[in-house]
Amino acid sequence: MTVPLLELDDVRKHYPVHRGLVLRRQVGAVRAVDGVSLRIAAGETLAVVGESGCGKSTLARLALRLIEPSAGAIRFDGRDVTHDGRSALKPLRRQMQVIFQDPFASLNPRMAVEEILAEPMLVHGIGDAASRAARVRELLGLVGLASYHADRFPHEFSGGQRQRIGIARALALKPRLIVCDEPVSALDVSIQAQVVNLLKDLQAEFGLAYLFISHGLAVVKHMADRVAVMYLGQVVETAPAKVLYAQPRHPYTQALLAAAPVPDPAQRHSRPTLGGDVPSPMTPPAGCRFHTRCGFAQARCREEAPGLRTIGPQHEAACHFAETIPAFARFGGGARHERLQARLALYEQKRAAMIAAETTAA
Amino acid sequence: MSNPVALTPEASPHAAFAVTARPSVVRFLLREPASAVALVVVVLLVLAALFAPWLAPTDPYAGDLANTLKAPGDGFLLGTDGQGRDMVTRLLFGLRMTLMMSLVAVVIGCGLGGLVGFAAAYYPRLSGLLMRLMDVLLSFPAILFGLALTAIVGPGLTAVLVALSIATIPLMARVVRGAAIVVLQQDYIEAARALGMGDARILTKYVLLNCLSPIFVFVTLRFGQVILLGSLLSFIGLGAQPPTAELGAMASDGRNFLFFAPHVSVLPSLLIFVVVLAFNVLGDGLRDALDPRMRR
Repeated sequence: MTVPLLELDDVRKHYPVHRGLVLRRQVGAVRAVDGVSLRIAAGETLAVVGESGCGKSTLARLALRLIEPSAGAIRFDGRDVTHDGRSALKPLRRQMQVIFQDPFASLNPRMAVEEILAEPMLVHGIGDAASRAARVRELLGLVGLASYHADRFPHEFSGGQRQRIGIARALALKPRLIVCDEPVSALDVSIQAQVVNLLKDLQAEFGLAYLFISHGLAVVKHMADRVAVMYLGQVVETAPAKVLYAQPRHPYTQALLAAAPVPDPAQRHSRPTLGGDVPSPMTPPAGCRFHTRCGFAQARCREEAPGLRTIGPQHEAACHFAETIPAFARFGGGARHERLQARLALYEQKRAAMIAAETTAA
Repeated sequence: MSNPVALTPEASPHAAFAVTARPSVVRFLLREPASAVALVVVVLLVLAALFAPWLAPTDPYAGDLANTLKAPGDGFLLGTDGQGRDMVTRLLFGLRMTLMMSLVAVVIGCGLGGLVGFAAAYYPRLSGLLMRLMDVLLSFPAILFGLALTAIVGPGLTAVLVALSIATIPLMARVVRGAAIVVLQQDYIEAARALGMGDARILTKYVLLNCLSPIFVFVTLRFGQVILLGSLLSFIGLGAQPPTAELGAMASDGRNFLFFAPHVSVLPSLLIFVVVLAFNVLGDGLRDALDPRMRR
């Protein structure tokens, strides 16, 4: 098998919790990421989805080596970079860049766009002033901005435009992997589509790999080649996107998919939802971490923690009963309600008439 | 690249309004009557202090015992003091001394305080130790520092300078640490780290630059307070010693003639009042002008 571009091997990040002002002692640890293994091939998009607080963003920062893992190994292009210092990491920084969620916080408000985009090249000593300026223009063009935007400041742009600037900055060093930490969650739905399409175009053009962190399932379905579902710091299911959306085998994945809104008024009240809250990552439940909220939990789930195991081609799930739980029934996926169907047909008829009237008038 | 939804400027309906003017801070200050007046007063006072040796009609230290304690207007614009020295000259040189003293104290105090604040914000391990140290400094009033120092080195400008600097350090450190911690949590700091940028560059180009507004406001406000404190220390005889022209010392000097020649004491006190007021109003105005949320 070929060497993956980025490989996380049983990575953990535990934040110690202290108590006492004078006699400080560790009373526990927040297990933000608790044994996650992932592989991303060159040019591939791996999406990580999960609820707020499940450790997605911590995982992104671990992959970028912005924070130190408590345990486990991180390999980039086959090389172990887990214990590299700052100077050793510098070449890695050129290969791996990041796009943040909040476009209002991710750009230095005191720097013009030109400086923001030239900064990565300056830090890595690439090119001279003229070639950097040319590259800035090129980057602006790549993300759909105009060259006269270069001497504006971030506060003069809209959220979507700022996110484009953030993407341009990530592209400046021609990286091979971009970690996208919820890149569209803070944007309007109409702008989301633009940015997601931009990311896809850039991937096709430069062969980028994405580690795509998100909680928007629709966006992930559109973007991802493979999806990993996280719950309480662990991956509970991973599969190619198509398989995951069609046949989710972990109860949590099924619950996530069921929670996505379905645009069908006839299905308004018929969807089962997940009750309860995510347990504290300081004291995760014994056995399967999901058993407190799982509708299929049995005695075994409370005692024995299930590991990820293969249940199909490239399909892994961490559930004792992955094969036996009922298949996921998509709500609203079937035939539309007949009254809705009639109403939509009526709209369609009216629209066709209007278009016909317009063309004759012209 | 084919990107059908790219926001080309031609396609944007707002293209015509895209050219936004960024009003300068000075212009914003001038729009507010109070801060406009304060700015003008501060500029005039600083110019007067700078050019005192050329503006003053007489020598500030040459007495004229034939013309002591003249009332304002009686041959002298603002009268003379107990040694027959022209009050206009004395006030100009007094202002010069007071402003210089405060400037040095603010520069030293804010410089050191700023370093401590940034260090505490950027290196959390140091934070506890440094900030507790600042709390200790903060627990002594500036007057007490002045008294203690004059007891050690004797009364004089040096003692006042050191006392004012030390009293400024913890305040500045707190302001800077607070501002820097907010900035350090922003995503663009993480982006800079992800680019492989070094600490020095992040601190100067990202953190310092984004902390400038609160620092600027604090320094201006602190300048007014330091003038008041410095004059106070001189007034009670710990700072500038006669015959040095210093506003606080001059006000103290005139106390003996308060009932028959009040101008000797009142004029320097009035000048202190005006300077401190101007700096405080300017500081408040700057706070509004530098806050982008207040600008819209």
